[in-house]
Amino acid sequence: MNDRAPLILVIDDEEPLRDGCKQTLERSGYVVMTAGNGDEGINLAREHKPDLAFIDLKMPGMSGMEIIDILYRDIPDIVLIMITGYAAIDSAVEAIKKGAYDYLPKPFSPDQLRTVTRRGLDYRGLKIEARHLREDKERMEKAFITFVSHEMRSPLVVVQQSIESIKIMAGDRLGADVKEVIERCETRVQRLQEMIEHWLDISRVEGGNIAQNKVPLSLAGIIAKSAEEMAPVCQAKGITLEIHAPDDLKKINGDEESLVRVFTNIIGNATKYTPEGGKITVSARADEHYANVAISDTGKGIPPDKLPFIFDPFYRVKGKQEVHQGSGLGLTFCKRIMDAHNGKIEALSKEGEGTTIMLKFPF
Amino acid sequence: MTVKKKILLIDDDKDFLFATKLILEKGGYEVFLAEDGKTGVEMWKSVSPDLAIIDMMMETWGEGFSVLEKIRGMDTGKDKPLIMLTAVDLQGPYQSFEAPPNYPKVNRVLHKPVKADELLNIISQEISAGQK
Repeated sequence: MNDRAPLILVIDDEEPLRDGCKQTLERSGYVVMTAGNGDEGINLAREHKPDLAFIDLKMPGMSGMEIIDILYRDIPDIVLIMITGYAAIDSAVEAIKKGAYDYLPKPFSPDQLRTVTRRGLDYRGLKIEARHLREDKERMEKAFITFVSHEMRSPLVVVQQSIESIKIMAGDRLGADVKEVIERCETRVQRLQEMIEHWLDISRVEGGNIAQNKVPLSLAGIIAKSAEEMAPVCQAKGITLEIHAPDDLKKINGDEESLVRVFTNIIGNATKYTPEGGKITVSARADEHYANVAISDTGKGIPPDKLPFIFDPFYRVKGKQEVHQGSGLGLTFCKRIMDAHNGKIEALSKEGEGTTIMLKFPF
Repeated sequence: MTVKKKILLIDDDKDFLFATKLILEKGGYEVFLAEDGKTGVEMWKSVSPDLAIIDMMMETWGEGFSVLEKIRGMDTGKDKPLIMLTAVDLQGPYQSFEAPPNYPKVNRVLHKPVKADELLNIISQEISAGQK
């Protein structure tokens, strides 16, 4: 931070009060600018970016409340303090809601003015420091994610591409035993890759990089998109995918990309645990406050003692014969995304009959 | 014997170049390798390949893009099939890669790693479509 004297702007229509404030504050070593009305004050603020501004709430022309509103939005880190002629608690509350930090009731003494100023500037210092820390943290997280995505994926891609080249070069000449070894390598490398992808997804959610731009979305549209994406997988496994989602369902607020991934993840999971000839059903309905989606399969189900843990990172439901191995992060990802949407995700299951994942989105 | 078609492969990862070269050679192509964008563009001029595969994410962001722009800007490059390779955030539903307007034409965007048979199929499609 630089060491220049703090710049303070006083916006008040009463000249004696402006001058009084200016003198008092200048004596304390601050640089002071004054304005007699809102327009003048806003122009000065935009040009000089003061650290702190006193704003009279009741002035002819633009009201103090409007000025607070505009300055709070336009001038980063500015501390706004209102001067109020009548000790009206209502207006104080409203101004603070609009971003004012404090208020100074008229008449006030020079000492009061100095105290409120000092407190406001201290607050500004803390606020800026907190923002810097947050930005540093975000920058580090972002750098780490970038590091992981590039430095960990690149070697993996090379291994995968090399396996491809081995297969095409020697394919027919290899014995079944060698082929099996290669296939095992391939599967495990593939899983490692999925794990990195999922882990990256989760870091992105935690870093707030996903689900931040929420827009009104049609759930039916998201479900259709996800179903389209998962159709080939279901088809390949001989599983029927049934969708019941009315088009006129009230829109939810969400991030389309991440929600499609929630659905493809859940449907993908269902395909892993559902035998050939089985069925996956996605049905959506809404009540007054929530949209509810149930994704049910006719798979082998999850034992009740394992059900509470399925959203935990790296938890996998191991069957007697472990044939399905995922990253163990898919449902964790779904849960984080649902959290970011203020939604809920729950699982119901009966061994031997199937599993239902319930999603709940607030309107 | 017919003359082998020539493919230029531009990627800053030596090992990736090596593995992909083997696949392409198995497909019957003559393969030229460039480890950076500048060499790639020069080789395009000197070799005049039938197709180029360019990594989007080389050393510096956008290097792949500037290679694409330069090749497309040349007479010998404006109609040839150019394939971009990427490993960045384009998996799954992120596949929606939409080129901005005025983006030089990319025939295909493929994600690393690429299956050998898929790669060879696409290349032969692109080369024969380019000859019509």
